[in-house]
Formats: sequence, C-alpha cells, structure tokens
Amino acid sequence: MTESLDHISCQELVELVTGYVEGALPAGETALVEQHLNFCEGCVWYLEQMRGTIAAARRIGVGDIAGEDRARLLAAFRGWRTP
Amino acid sequence: MIGYKFLRQGGRSPFTGFDWPLPDGGPGPWHEARVEPCRSGIHACRRDDLPLWLGRALYEVELDGEIVEEPTKLVASRARLLHRIDAWDDRLRDEYTRVCADRAHDLAVGGRPPLTDWDAVIEPSIPEGPALLGFVAARIAEARGGRTAYHRERSRQARWLADRLSL
Repeated sequence: MTESLDHISCQELVELVTGYVEGALPAGETALVEQHLNFCEGCVWYLEQMRGTIAAARRIGVGDIAGEDRARLLAAFRGWRTP
Repeated sequence: MIGYKFLRQGGRSPFTGFDWPLPDGGPGPWHEARVEPCRSGIHACRRDDLPLWLGRALYEVELDGEIVEEPTKLVASRARLLHRIDAWDDRLRDEYTRVCADRAHDLAVGGRPPLTDWDAVIEPSIPEGPALLGFVAARIAEARGGRTAYHRERSRQARWLADRLSL
C-alpha cells in the first residue's frame, strides 16, 4: 500500500478514504488514516466533504432526478472505467 | 490500566465525535463499548504513543474490562476519564512545536547532503501545530536513516512529552 508501514501520504489517504468512511478498512490501515488526519488539516476537510457528499446523496431518491438528467448520469456511470 | 486520551476542547472525540462526560472534581462516569479496534471500543494511548495522537486537551483515562493492545493504541470495553492533564496547555503545545521544528531543521541541514526541500516545509508548517511538526521531524529523520530513525525520533518526542508532563 505504502512505502512506509508507519505513515501514509495525502494521496494514499485519498485511496483509503472510501473504505475508512464505510468502516471497511483493517484496523492497521484505519489507524494510519487517523494518525494522518491528526496532523493534516487538508485531509480532514477532504474527509468532511466526502461525508457531506454521501449524506446529501442519501437524501436524493430516483424520483428527485429529472428524466434527462437521470439518463445523462446513467450514461456517465456506464461509460466510466477504472484505469 | 491507565492510559491517555486526547480530546477537543469541551471533551469531543476528534474521530468519532463522541462527547465524553468530563471529570468534575473526581473521575467521570464509566463509558462502555464493544471492543473492535478502530471501529468500536474506547480508544486511548500509552505514553509512547502520545506524539501520534496529539490534540488540544489531554486526559488520563482508566481502562477496564477487555483491553486490546494495538501497536499504536489501546482499545478497551470500559473506561472513564480520571482528570485533565493541565500541563498540556497552549504554552506547552507551542514549546513542543518549536522543539520539533528546531530538531527538524537540525536533521534536515545538519547532515550531508542537506535536505533543503524538507527544510523548506518546516517553518510554514508551524501554524498547523504540534502533531504536524512532530511528524515532519520524524519524516526527516526517516529520510536520513530509514524506518528505524523514524521510530527513534518518535520515541525521543514521547520522552520529551512524558518528561514535561510528568507522566
């Protein structure tokens, strides 16, 4: 995961943040994320934005999205590929 | 078992947002949680872990019940705050930050070759506080001497804190 087993970089935190928010990381990786958050204000803000986005998305139902927008979103999701 | 716990001003946990009942003339009430490291349970640290978890307010905490010892922390099923460690105040935070900054400069430019890129990040990091400066100093040590040097620097920081906090 990282060149050091004792700390992670901001980029590595971004890679782990989804698992952290979902409580899906192993204990050791969670500890590394939290140690990083303890000194990195920028990543604290990133995490807060991630949590805010998730909370906002949970409030949106299928019926809340207009048909044209829904079609565009689905097309974007279907066209998305991981590198 | 006695451990230590950093909280925000007012007693809020920095990661879970839990508002700890604070001691008021005596130990605070017991709090209980199922132990599952990093997901559930009451998390605290040992003296040697202090530099990793520096926060605004430091409390001595009594741990009881099931206690799991992780490499950088303790997790217990039952705990209560005993008292705030008043020596960890703004003055000492600032002093520790400066000590770490000076040490980081020594590590960065006191050896060969000078690590000028690292040296440049030290002073701008000071407003971010003691946790970052401790990390920066340990990372510069690591750049010089690898993981062993990183841990040695963290131990040095823990000794400084324990000494100044009389732990």
